[in-house]
Amino acid sequence: MQANRRLFLILTLLIVCGALGALIWTSFTGSLVYFHTPTEIKEAGADKTGQKVRIGGMVQEGSLVKEAGTLKIRFMVTDGKNQVPVRYEGMTPDLFREGQGVVVEGPWQPGQEFIASSILAKHSEDYIPVEMTPEGIARSKESMLRSLQ
Amino acid sequence: MWIEIAHFATIVALLLTLLQTSAPVVGVNMQRPVWIRVGRQASFMAAGLLTLAIMGVVISFLNHDFSVKYVAEHASRSLPMFYLTTALWGGHEGSLLFWAWLMALFTAIAVGWHWSTHARSIPWVLSILGAVTSGFLILVLFLSSPFERLTDPPFDGQDLNPLLQDPGMVFHPPFLYMGYVGFAIPFAFAVAALINGRITDEWILATRRWTLFSWAMLTTGIIFGAYWAYYELGWGGYWAWDPVENASFMPWLIATAFLHSVMVQERRRMFKIWNLFLIITTFALSLLGTFLVRSGVLSSVHAFASDPGRGVYILMFMAVVLLFSFGLLVFRADRLRTEVRLESPFSMEAAFLFNNLFLVIAGLTVLLGTLYPLAVETFGSSKVTVGAPYYNKVFIPIMLGILLLMGVGPLLVWRGVQMKSLLQSLTKPAMVGLAGAGLSLLVVVNHPYGAITVGLVLFVIHAHMTDVWHGIKKRMSNTGEGMTVALMGLFTRNKRRYGGFIVHFGILMMAMGFVGSGLFQEEKNLVLAQGDHVVIGRWKLVFEKIIDVEGKNWKAQEAVIQVEGPAGAFTLHPQKRVYQDHQMPTTEAAIFSGIREDLYVVLGDAVTETTWAFRIYRNPLVSWIWNGSGIMALGILFALLQGRRLSRKIAEKGTVELERGT
Repeated sequence: MQANRRLFLILTLLIVCGALGALIWTSFTGSLVYFHTPTEIKEAGADKTGQKVRIGGMVQEGSLVKEAGTLKIRFMVTDGKNQVPVRYEGMTPDLFREGQGVVVEGPWQPGQEFIASSILAKHSEDYIPVEMTPEGIARSKESMLRSLQ
Repeated sequence: MWIEIAHFATIVALLLTLLQTSAPVVGVNMQRPVWIRVGRQASFMAAGLLTLAIMGVVISFLNHDFSVKYVAEHASRSLPMFYLTTALWGGHEGSLLFWAWLMALFTAIAVGWHWSTHARSIPWVLSILGAVTSGFLILVLFLSSPFERLTDPPFDGQDLNPLLQDPGMVFHPPFLYMGYVGFAIPFAFAVAALINGRITDEWILATRRWTLFSWAMLTTGIIFGAYWAYYELGWGGYWAWDPVENASFMPWLIATAFLHSVMVQERRRMFKIWNLFLIITTFALSLLGTFLVRSGVLSSVHAFASDPGRGVYILMFMAVVLLFSFGLLVFRADRLRTEVRLESPFSMEAAFLFNNLFLVIAGLTVLLGTLYPLAVETFGSSKVTVGAPYYNKVFIPIMLGILLLMGVGPLLVWRGVQMKSLLQSLTKPAMVGLAGAGLSLLVVVNHPYGAITVGLVLFVIHAHMTDVWHGIKKRMSNTGEGMTVALMGLFTRNKRRYGGFIVHFGILMMAMGFVGSGLFQEEKNLVLAQGDHVVIGRWKLVFEKIIDVEGKNWKAQEAVIQVEGPAGAFTLHPQKRVYQDHQMPTTEAAIFSGIREDLYVVLGDAVTETTWAFRIYRNPLVSWIWNGSGIMALGILFALLQGRRLSRKIAEKGTVELERGT
């Protein structure tokens, strides 16, 4: 009787552990989202088709187009070498603007416009106001690109 | 001037903590108690000097001394005085100093408190806490100094990040740190017990209040953070499973497991190794939390690498703490064998075992999701994120499992009950739960998880109420008291148990809040012109106009929105603020908080000359989370009131068993 009860306890423990382990494993592998720069994602091309990815870079100067009267926007995400055209509908984060760092998330379809399901403009706890000199802006762009990679 | 005083005080404090680390060891080994007293005096003086150091930094902030680099980076002339003071922990240098100060302060209090009652442990406690504090002070002085001067001081500082200029954020870090640092005391007592080989339950009894206090602080800190995220960040949620949040959640989960499993050791002398493992892990995760958040490693591994000295030091510090304490645990493991075995799967101890299993697995889940991306980034070339869907998928079942155990717990007794009697006592609460789940599925809740939560919550409430009711009836028949008197007597006689019950009620409320807001949130993104109206749920919103408003150090565009709802008519004022010294706008969401749901309105950019973007959320039951956490806090306070009476009884039993040679 005593041994039976112990066995029962151990079996229950194993089953619960196994079930939770399986749950963690399947949810984990299913929700990994890889981050790419525009150059990387273009190189990956068809391999990533249909996968949810994050693409990070800068919003290219002069590329931001707002459709009048709606929340639909289009812009290019660039890493200096390659660009990815992005379409998004919705309110943009406070820090989103041309020339700033951005991360867009959505399913990747090579050769098509990237339809972003969400846009992140990194909230950093210690961002420093940029000195509005050409060097200052260049420096901050550089550091932002670096931090996004 | 003040910053130099602070700097000098910190240097002397470091020397004193090194003395505090070494002197008691010498004292124990040479049998010279005077050295242990030297260690105590050193800890008192270090606490005093670090208080002076903290004052020095705060005064530099209040004096607008922008020649101090840390002040220049985290304050400005326009910053209100309140935020000037609290900017102390606005950056990592200051927070590490703050951490070290709290540590020294808690050490001094603990040493003063336990000096005569725990004479055998105190030398080692002094030594361990001294080592941890000095480790932090080395980091503060050599690698992350808030005392640096600028040779070319600016006229004005760079200001505190506007997102941090919020009361929620002001109180979030200190509470978290009080929790983190508080766990150092039980940790030190546990390691002291391992070192001197007298591994009884003394360390658990000595530090019970410290553990409860730290857990309360950590809980409060986490809630403040969630509250801040909800009110300040304007994305309609309160918890994003961000690594920074996870860093504080991991020690909380393990500490919660510890709070439950110590009861098993107190009552049944089991789980001895396990409890030591849990408290060491809790403190290690507290350290990890501090470092993860305050080293910059989370925003980017490259940021970490840009200051390799600090990164390597932190890794080494963690490695020393982990190797030393777990090594000691392995070394002493054979002394901790227990003859008591789990007798029945239907016993209190088995319920606690499963409770621990769930909580530890929850902790591992968060650890995996937080550290895996860092590992991939460090050792591989790609960068990966683990999104909220992972945590949500795993956490809802784990939470439901814990709720189930919470309900079964009061129905069980130590050593086990007969299956038949368990089934008998389960019937009623289970029926109530099932009926509630079914009813909720029919009426409002159209989601299986929602219905299961409602059912489980009712199940737990019924089980707890029945337990309390039996207690009252027994008391009434024994003493002839009236019902209210009996209830009061019951609760005050065992404050820890019933404090725990109150905490459970708080958790139930919060669980309802999590499920309500997590599964049933409604979001609308739209463009409104002045005079337009929109209907969401039971609310009708009319966008009246945009006006300009101004605060002490900010200007804002503010939308005026008339709302008509079941609670009557009122006005909401969502803002888009621009702080002086910053170009980045920040959103100030306007929130109407009700029992059933919150109405949450965010103002976006102007779309055309006359139209603006809005995001409107209907967040069901969010206020239950905040109210539930308040009930939790009450429960913890009540449990903290537990005097020595109960503990002495158990302590005596412990020594008796010790003499019998267990």
